Amino acid sequence: MNIATFEKAILPVKDKLYRFALKLLSSPDDAKDVVQEVLMRVWNNQFNAEEVRNWEAWCMCMTRNLALDRLRASSRKRSDTIEADMRLVNDDLTPDRSAELSDSLETVRLIIDALPDKQRQVMHLRDVEGYSYQEICSILELDMNQVKVTLFRARNTVREKMLKIDAYGL
Amino acid sequence: MDSEHIHRLLEKYWKCETTLEEEEQLRRYFQQSDPPETLRDIAPLFQHLQESRQTEIVDPTFTKKVLGKLATRNKATQRWLYNTMRIAAGVLVLVLAVWLIRIEVRKTDPSPTADTYSDPEIAFEETKKALLMISKSFGRAEEQARKLNLFNEAQEKVRQDDEPNEPDTRM
Repeated sequence: MNIATFEKAILPVKDKLYRFALKLLSSPDDAKDVVQEVLMRVWNNQFNAEEVRNWEAWCMCMTRNLALDRLRASSRKRSDTIEADMRLVNDDLTPDRSAELSDSLETVRLIIDALPDKQRQVMHLRDVEGYSYQEICSILELDMNQVKVTLFRARNTVREKMLKIDAYGL
Repeated sequence: MDSEHIHRLLEKYWKCETTLEEEEQLRRYFQQSDPPETLRDIAPLFQHLQESRQTEIVDPTFTKKVLGKLATRNKATQRWLYNTMRIAAGVLVLVLAVWLIRIEVRKTDPSPTADTYSDPEIAFEETKKALLMISKSFGRAEEQARKLNLFNEAQEKVRQDDEPNEPDTRM
């Protein structure tokens, strides 16, 4: 693989990788570093190109692993950083508190960010990036059943919380 | 697109039974049209998902930086390959030279150990002969060495006799 091929075949995926890394790390700089590292690894691994059937899924998988390593290394629990924001979507949400949520899109973001890691990852890959269940299985190294159950739980949690906020807002 | 159809798609969506195309329809519907009252509570979800798709790396130099690093790494690999090839070529030339010299030397001075005996008894006799010859040579050499030693001793004695007696300085 030469640079021109790399530029044409691999680089266009960079934004997808960035979005996924950002979802996991919540830091644009860290997400950018992870994407750069993934791209360098793809370049170094080019001699095994024939072994990797789906480069995009391979890159996404690598992004996930590197992002999780980074999280572990910094011992920063992502859920802790949004704990404060989380209170507004908890079960003990008060009408006063929900009235503060003027931006509904921001509310949705907070609800999704408050999901457990696996649910958030599956929902992002399916609903934002539009991957098939099979691709999600290979990226997250899960079986089909686990992916479907996780997605079902994620979507329904989001739905319930949105309806609850909407009911309080009325 | 009528809201009935969207309601049906949404039901499938919550059960995770929608295809990727149907999910795309939902996102597009909530992005483009003003949803009816019954769908308004769920619209922000699809709007958020659609909006999330637009997120990109904002750094305009990112691609340039990555490609620059790749080019540097590529050059380093090429340099490493070039140096390795140079060393390999040097070693090859050396091995070839040694091999050719060895062939030349063998041509001019055929090795005495080239022939061997196939019969063990003859080989044993020949070995015995060779060892006997070595032993004889050692014996002769020892005799010569003894003579030399005698000569040395006599020479030493003559030297001692020729030296004048030193005066006694103790008095």
